[in-house]
Amino acid sequence: METKSGSMRLARPLLGTFVEIAVEDAALPETEAAMERAFAAIARVHRLMSFHDPDSDISRLNREASAGAVAVDRWTYQVLESAVDLHRRSTGLFDIAVAPVLQVMGLLPNPGDDPSPASISTRADEAIELLAAHRVQFRYPGVRIDLGGIAKGFAVDRAVDVLRSCGLERGLVSAGGDLAVFGPRPQTVFIRDPRDPRRLMGSVEAKNEAVASTGARFDPFLGADALGVSVIDPRTREPARTASGVAVRAPSCMIADALTKVVMIAGESAAALLEHYRASAVLVLANGEVRITADWQGAVSLAA
Amino acid sequence: MTKWVRWTAPVAMVMSVTSPACAVQYLTIAQAQKLAFPSATGFVEQQSGRVWKAQNGNSAIGLFVFDRVIGKHLYIDYAVALDLSGKVRRVDILQYRESYGGEVRDASWLAQFVGKTSGSALQVDRDIRNISGATLSSHHVTEGVKKILALYGNQVR
Repeated sequence: METKSGSMRLARPLLGTFVEIAVEDAALPETEAAMERAFAAIARVHRLMSFHDPDSDISRLNREASAGAVAVDRWTYQVLESAVDLHRRSTGLFDIAVAPVLQVMGLLPNPGDDPSPASISTRADEAIELLAAHRVQFRYPGVRIDLGGIAKGFAVDRAVDVLRSCGLERGLVSAGGDLAVFGPRPQTVFIRDPRDPRRLMGSVEAKNEAVASTGARFDPFLGADALGVSVIDPRTREPARTASGVAVRAPSCMIADALTKVVMIAGESAAALLEHYRASAVLVLANGEVRITADWQGAVSLAA
Repeated sequence: MTKWVRWTAPVAMVMSVTSPACAVQYLTIAQAQKLAFPSATGFVEQQSGRVWKAQNGNSAIGLFVFDRVIGKHLYIDYAVALDLSGKVRRVDILQYRESYGGEVRDASWLAQFVGKTSGSALQVDRDIRNISGATLSSHHVTEGVKKILALYGNQVR
């Protein structure tokens, strides 16, 4: 707990991964309570937005929203608004309605009902209707959504909000490598090589911003071999092949998290979208070339 | 307009860079016990190095179970605190380590980041901490917590 003088770092299994919170005001009596509240905010996002939990807002929507409007928590509604907006702005490349494809591929569990071909071809902007009073309705039967590409970042942002509102001055929240830092001085964030998670590709000095990455999945419990890419191109309904990995830097972790998926699919043509969200990226193309947006120059130090 | 810049260092060079082992000690067993049961006056060992009864005076207030998951390239020490009703009160990761062999402590690799932090030379365990990328599944820990709950959930009192 006391890793450096005055710092405190805790980790818990949440959101299907390891969530880590580090702060540098460990001497304050309220620090521990603040960290507890930050973990509670993340647990709340987990409860609301898990695809796996039958009682989550997302499971309720997937079961009931094709038949009528379903009221959800304001946090869930907020993420859905951002997801629909990202879907429009990315011309459909960011798509939370791709869940049935992930189910068919075995990347998401299937609770028995095989996705119909109709649900596999639905798209987020036309399928999801956001109504007043935090109610949500699906326009077609068989629509299934999954916030796996955005909720983790949102959870990190909420935890940072809690820590700041509790008066903590400097810290970090990381949900399995999607992270945000806050405080008056920059913090060094290392970026894993998306092609080989045993290696680091470089580092970036981050200040009051988020860094999220997407690449090959791997499980160090089983070994270091990559298990394939889990970002699906909604146009082809197949794994993205343009890039083998991406790291995105953005003002919020939710946006950074979501944009990694778009850049994985669109590659360099995501430049305008990155600019809209005041984000920047390191992109490892499938042929091994590495591209960085110009604004990362000087900010990122790539290992060589 | 955002422009992309080709980063020209040879890929072979990137590939030759091996990351250090990622190892973080979050909490000692004693620290985790205290955080889980702040009102405890003592912890009575029930199973050596593994199970403790948290007590306030002479009354039991919960159970603290230490466990470890070990995989090919990683081990995770974690602790589960159970309350008197046998419910999970808290799960903390105590130590997390991914290990990838000898070259990971390569000083020349670390040297390139010197000056990027506080100006002092980096130490693997102390400084390489904030790592973005490769979401690791917590599945094995979650399974472990379930096992502990099944084993000890009805033995707390």
